[in-house]
Amino acid sequence: MRLSESHTDEPNHEAAVRRWATVTTTIMRTTARVVVPIILVVSISLFLQGHNYPGGGFIGGVLTVAAFTLVYVAYGLDYLEVGVLNRDVDYSAGIYEHRTVSAYRRLFIFGLAVTVGSGLGALLFGEQFLSQDYTYVHLPLFGEVELASALVFDLGIFCVVVGGLLLIFSVVGAE
Amino acid sequence: MEPQLPAVATAVALPFVAAALTPLLYRFVGEAVGYFGAAIAGLSFVLVVSQVGTEGTVSVQWIPSLEVAVRFHVDGLALLFGMLASGIGVLIFAYSAGYMQGKPNLARFYMTLLGFMGSILGVAFAADLVVLFLFWELTSVCSFVLIGYHTDDDESRYSARMAMLVTVGGGLCLLAGLLVLAAAAEMAGVEAFNLAAMLADSASVAAQLKEVGLFVPALVLVTIAAAAKSAQVPLYFWLPRAMVAPTPVSAFLHSATMVKVGVYALGRFRPLFHGVEWTLLVATLGLATMTVGAVLAVRARDIKELLAYSTASHLGLMVAGFGFQTHYGADAGVFHLLNHALFKAALFLVAGIVTHQVGTRNVEELGGLARDLPVTAAITGVAALSMAGIPPFNGFYSKELLFEAAWETAVANGDLAWLYPATAALASVFTVLYSLRFLWLFLGDRPDSVGSVSRPSLALLAPPAVLAALVAVLSVAPHLGIEFVVQDAASATAVEPVEVHAALPLSVSGPALMSLGAIAVGVAIFPAYGRLQGRLDAAHGATTRLHPTVLYGRVLTATDEASVRLSGFVHNGLIRTYAWWTLLAACGLVLAGYVTAAVGLPTPLAVETSVAMVLVLAVSVLSAVAVAATDTHVTGVLTLGILGFMVAIFYILASGPDLALTQLVVETLLLLIFLLALEEMPAFYGELEWDVAAKDAALSIAVGVTAFVSVLLTAPSGDGGLTETAGEYVERAVPDGGGTNVVNVILTDFRAFDTLGESIVIVLAALSVLVLLAMRTRGETQ
Repeated sequence: MRLSESHTDEPNHEAAVRRWATVTTTIMRTTARVVVPIILVVSISLFLQGHNYPGGGFIGGVLTVAAFTLVYVAYGLDYLEVGVLNRDVDYSAGIYEHRTVSAYRRLFIFGLAVTVGSGLGALLFGEQFLSQDYTYVHLPLFGEVELASALVFDLGIFCVVVGGLLLIFSVVGAE
Repeated sequence: MEPQLPAVATAVALPFVAAALTPLLYRFVGEAVGYFGAAIAGLSFVLVVSQVGTEGTVSVQWIPSLEVAVRFHVDGLALLFGMLASGIGVLIFAYSAGYMQGKPNLARFYMTLLGFMGSILGVAFAADLVVLFLFWELTSVCSFVLIGYHTDDDESRYSARMAMLVTVGGGLCLLAGLLVLAAAAEMAGVEAFNLAAMLADSASVAAQLKEVGLFVPALVLVTIAAAAKSAQVPLYFWLPRAMVAPTPVSAFLHSATMVKVGVYALGRFRPLFHGVEWTLLVATLGLATMTVGAVLAVRARDIKELLAYSTASHLGLMVAGFGFQTHYGADAGVFHLLNHALFKAALFLVAGIVTHQVGTRNVEELGGLARDLPVTAAITGVAALSMAGIPPFNGFYSKELLFEAAWETAVANGDLAWLYPATAALASVFTVLYSLRFLWLFLGDRPDSVGSVSRPSLALLAPPAVLAALVAVLSVAPHLGIEFVVQDAASATAVEPVEVHAALPLSVSGPALMSLGAIAVGVAIFPAYGRLQGRLDAAHGATTRLHPTVLYGRVLTATDEASVRLSGFVHNGLIRTYAWWTLLAACGLVLAGYVTAAVGLPTPLAVETSVAMVLVLAVSVLSAVAVAATDTHVTGVLTLGILGFMVAIFYILASGPDLALTQLVVETLLLLIFLLALEEMPAFYGELEWDVAAKDAALSIAVGVTAFVSVLLTAPSGDGGLTETAGEYVERAVPDGGGTNVVNVILTDFRAFDTLGESIVIVLAALSVLVLLAMRTRGETQ
């Protein structure tokens, strides 16, 4: 709340980003710039390979959260809106109406829906709630690829973790 | 003939589906949604009627491993109760459409009413103890919502809470009683939760209960539950309070159906508990309620209050009927269940019309309304005379059956048992009195305070008229009702074969004289009604200390005070206090669990520990000591980080890559969060206070002991190989789950339900943070 209030008299959001920059150091920001893409790629690969190698929805999710938190610590909450998506931020609205925060909220609701939906999907095939199945498909270039319905379930978990934790951090952080 | 599962299941499920659709429908059709409810009730009614004549149990599996199933048993009693719920439901919904015009929150009102009807049908047909309990509690919840219809009215909220506490408290007794029954049934070799099988084999279940000495406790628990639900002494006090609900609700829930659930349960369990103890407890309870209710009804000045106490009194009559061992008792209980529902619902609807048209519910301000409301007066005439038990109205037949049951019991047992017929006759005198008083709203003098009264609309008049017509039909030709369903219903509650008969007594007998005497005395005292009320008021005032309402208030206040005192300790706003109590409680519960399970501590398996592992553990122990010894936040966070990463390395050495990854990632995230918060925290910790430190040290030791014991207990013992469960997971991971990462296959496939639960925990945490912070900034503090 403190942050968004301090910005209400600041029409230029470039300046808002710059003001945040005084809070953190150049080292922090440069590190984040280099590290965040790597973390994101690793987290996605951890998520995808989870069925056969160490990893999975939860670990991938928490790692993604770490990446976003790093961005948040280094550049502030508005950076995703202003710096990446190049959109305006309405500073007069509270933290709960912040577009990033509502995106997080939608994300974990979507995740929960996917998780429950993947469970209900099993019922359609006459299986028990939340039973999973898998099959192998042949793709050009990749060769034999395993398609597991568990991946859908894991995607839900991933989204719940990312959305839920980031929502908590951004709202509590804004306090 | 076997009942059809689809018909019964649809009859029960339809109202729930309709309830879910109601808010949506309300947007399109507005208040006409009441007629939609009537149509749904009608459909359910038709479905229930289509099963008349069938008997048997149908079921769908639900939790096969616990022998819990969605099981419906259809017999006369269930059909009678189901028909009452859905049939009267039709009339109530039609009446509400007129009565509730222009009232707020109608979508919620109709939704709850529909949900309630579904729950009542569920109770009627449920033949599984778990399902029965669920529907039983659902009726309490719906009743709570409906009594609290006027959400901004203090009295409404108070009454709703009272009804909830009493009926749900009774529900807990029912739960305990049902669990005892289930255990006994299992020991007797009957399916644990199958009520139908239990009743079919009632003798052996009862014998088993007696053998383990739980017969009387189970009986008492079930009776308390029924007494709370059916407003028996001393738990009747919530029922008159519940009259703050809109009149259709009073007519439907608090006279015709919900309050009869307890009576119905007693009828259901009667064959199981049949015996001397049963009569002593249930018949006495019923007759006491019958008398107390009737006396309090005479004292009442509000017409709905009068009807409420009268309802309690008549519920007492039914309970007493089921309490007697002779088959007359079963006849009386079942037949009165039907008769009372008809005449009392009609009278409540009449009370609604009077309130709606005249604008007051005070008995003393009402009178001589027959000229203004002739049709209503005719309806009241039929229904009130039936309530009084005047021959040849149907209420007379069922009350006469109760007299016969009481008389026969007294003749058989002699001595003190003569109190049964005496009490019944006394209660009947008061019943005659208040019935006549209600009738006098329409006869007698018309006070000047009553202004011009307009005629009620057809929507208000038709439902009670239908009910009164049914009363008239049953009065003229009681055998129609008996042959249709009452005979079968009474058989379901009785042990010996029954033959329900209803006719005017043609010869002089004890019961006939009791009826005659009660009516004669009642009519003789009626002119002195006012003086009698005065006497009763004086007696009421002298016994204030004993009133259940006063006791209830005292219990509530004491609980309030105790919780305020407790929250000073546990809930003092400091997060460290919360953490302290939460951790201590968790440790206490875990250790208590180990103690009660009487698990011995296994000797840990001596495995060769590598040098690397010893090193890692040594570093983590050192950093743990450093965390406790540090005096700035920065070093604290950093040493804590070292500890976390050491644990991760330990996982790697112990070949748990998934755990190690999770630990690493979470540890990194924690460091980041500390970075976020570090700036806001004081750089140094405060002065060390010895008493606080001692408290924390005690907690640390408790947590450490718990963790240590848990690790010892869960560590693999024996030859160090995989446990049976682990072995099976490893074996099945590739063929069943299609993944070589066993941990992930367990998470997403074998135990996906747990994972789903955990993700819901995250969602709940996020939502709570959102709600708590949002509410705080809006200043919504209660």
